[in-house]
Amino acid sequence: MSTDTPRSSLLNLGSGRPTIEVLEAGEGAPLLFLHGAGGVPAWEGVLPLLSREYHVFAPLLPGFGGSTGLEYLEDQLDLFLHGFDVVEALGLDRPYVVGESLGGWMAAEMAALRPKEVGRLALASPVGLWRDEAPVTDLFGHMIHELVPYLFHDQTCPAAQRMLALTQLFSDKDDRAPWQIEMLVVLGRGFRTAAKFLFPIPENGLERRLWRIQAPTLVVWGEQDRFISPMYAEIFREQIPNAGVVKIPNAGHLIGLESPEPYAEALLRWGRGH
Amino acid sequence: MSAAPALLQAHELLLDQLGHPQSHIGAAPGFRGAAPEEATMKLGWFHLMPYRWLPDDFRERYHSVWVDLPNALYDPRRGHQLYNEYLDMLEYADQMGFDAIGVNEHHQNAYGMMPSPNLMAAALTRRTANAMLVVLGNSIALYNPPTRVAEEFAMLDVMSGGRLVAGFPVGTPMDVNYCYGQNPATLREKYREAHDLILKAWREREPFAWNGKYTKLRYVNVWPQPIQKPHPPIWVPGLSSIETWDFCAEHGYNYSYLSYSGYKRAQKMLDGYWERLAARGREANPYSCAFFQQVCLSDSDAACEREWWPHVDYFFNKCLHLYPAMASAPGYQSEASIRAGVVAQAGNTKMNFGIDKSWKELVEQRYIVAGSPATVREQLEELAHSLRCGHLLLGLHIGSAPAELTNRSTYLFATEVMPHLRPIWGEYEDRWWPQALPASERAPAGSYNAAAQARAERPKEDRR
Repeated sequence: MSTDTPRSSLLNLGSGRPTIEVLEAGEGAPLLFLHGAGGVPAWEGVLPLLSREYHVFAPLLPGFGGSTGLEYLEDQLDLFLHGFDVVEALGLDRPYVVGESLGGWMAAEMAALRPKEVGRLALASPVGLWRDEAPVTDLFGHMIHELVPYLFHDQTCPAAQRMLALTQLFSDKDDRAPWQIEMLVVLGRGFRTAAKFLFPIPENGLERRLWRIQAPTLVVWGEQDRFISPMYAEIFREQIPNAGVVKIPNAGHLIGLESPEPYAEALLRWGRGH
Repeated sequence: MSAAPALLQAHELLLDQLGHPQSHIGAAPGFRGAAPEEATMKLGWFHLMPYRWLPDDFRERYHSVWVDLPNALYDPRRGHQLYNEYLDMLEYADQMGFDAIGVNEHHQNAYGMMPSPNLMAAALTRRTANAMLVVLGNSIALYNPPTRVAEEFAMLDVMSGGRLVAGFPVGTPMDVNYCYGQNPATLREKYREAHDLILKAWREREPFAWNGKYTKLRYVNVWPQPIQKPHPPIWVPGLSSIETWDFCAEHGYNYSYLSYSGYKRAQKMLDGYWERLAARGREANPYSCAFFQQVCLSDSDAACEREWWPHVDYFFNKCLHLYPAMASAPGYQSEASIRAGVVAQAGNTKMNFGIDKSWKELVEQRYIVAGSPATVREQLEELAHSLRCGHLLLGLHIGSAPAELTNRSTYLFATEVMPHLRPIWGEYEDRWWPQALPASERAPAGSYNAAAQARAERPKEDRR
């Protein structure tokens, strides 16, 4: 399977449950990739690099891409169990689970909930913990362009510029083009999913469950992450029984978009057991 | 400005009461108007209660008047003066024969200092006896448990002798999501559940259990119960969601469009509402609609600009200085609402909220209805007919306006505008108006203090 162009398919989890779009690419051992609040708008960043060694499955949460059925996930427990529903429907056995930000939180919760069903774990700048002295940036209380300095170390990089371009959707006039309204709707749909589980404070007791995680866990953090302070990496390392930390230099919160190579290398090395 | 006038007025009122122990509802102190009995267009006096002392460079220094504006800017001593002045204005409106006086709920802001509108309404029940009390309202998804709203609204209805209009807003994203932490993705579902619970709590005569998703109560048994049966009229204020139209149509509630952009810009929204009602086969009864319009009156058009501009400027350029990121929250609006283009007010703050507009622009585009009584009369007649609105809520206090200016406006409105507007929509039945106790059964404003005092302070030898 190509590593650069993913295959997309719809996974019907049954009546009264979400229908999920899954992107997949590559061959090898299964790697489950859980995306952040931005979804997977393109097969870019760390994804093509991981699919050179793994069969990467990237299911999209309801509200992202072609995935629907957010109304069936009423609370956070529903969300984590839904993660396992996807794993089972895809027939994955103890996959390597990689989660970014929102997806990192979900991955950690899943690994704590059913410790024996996650083979290996990598958390890339995950949300889920809270310290008053380092509050996580409010994802839902900023304009998109204002988030760019929090999300990127280098605000001139192409991904940051793309995000800045979205500001044209938020015009001061009543003259949005139809495509802009659709873009706004799509953007809002994904944010609604994120908000359903993370608003207003992205913390719901994960810290007291971290000790349950049995999978060898790599915590990856951009050294210049201004969205969630890298100090949280140490809390994860201290409380997960078998955890290592890798800090990626010259990277902000969206490591995969800003520094995909060293990030992918760290994930692949961890996958090999180093 | 000092608090002395307010205190003086209160004192006079007290003396007045003491001097007239038999004073009765129809002859409440200072009462000079009379709300007619038959169905006529209703004119309410609505207060936002803004903070009056935001600094001149407020917009440069702070990104919003709401949510995270540091409360260091608030001076409670000035607040004391303001609350009393503002309540005086509402009480004066009652005396001048306005059909209703109104308050609403907002949090963490300098634009409306009523986190608890029920406290204001409670104060008004004791100092007014004629005007209906429009509380627009309690953001019912915020109360835990929502039976608190059933209780407090019932208290207000009982205290006021059945004068309550119960407002059930979803609440702005600033209030409900950013200040009160409600999840925007589930807010409307929680709102509907709270609504169902409150209505059932007002309907049932025996305790019942409520196993909701957001509220679980083993025993629901609300004491007291409202005077109005089956319950006070319910008005639902809305800004930008077509779901609210559907909700009103489904339950037969009044839709209250509270806009700061005036009646011209409201046309599209209210046309949409009437179309929605028609599509559901509902009568286009003007009383199923309320509209908020800010109005400034002076003796002449020229005097109006001179007297009111500083306060109008304060309102549009300070009180409506909002941070667009918090004017909406993800999931607060449905995709249908976003597509229907009713995001306008959330997304297009500057454009629609009248920021940076001149007096001339604000007046010509009817953000405000302003001028002499003749000018105001003509424009409000146009408003009533074009929007098909049977309940007009008047913002007769704006921004930093002081009591004297505001009360003059109130007086001119009551004497020279109100009589001309009342006959409009006389052919329709107003089913959204409180069914208060007859005046003869309602407690007079200020109640029976004089008689109580006389009995309490009787000479000792009278003791039996």
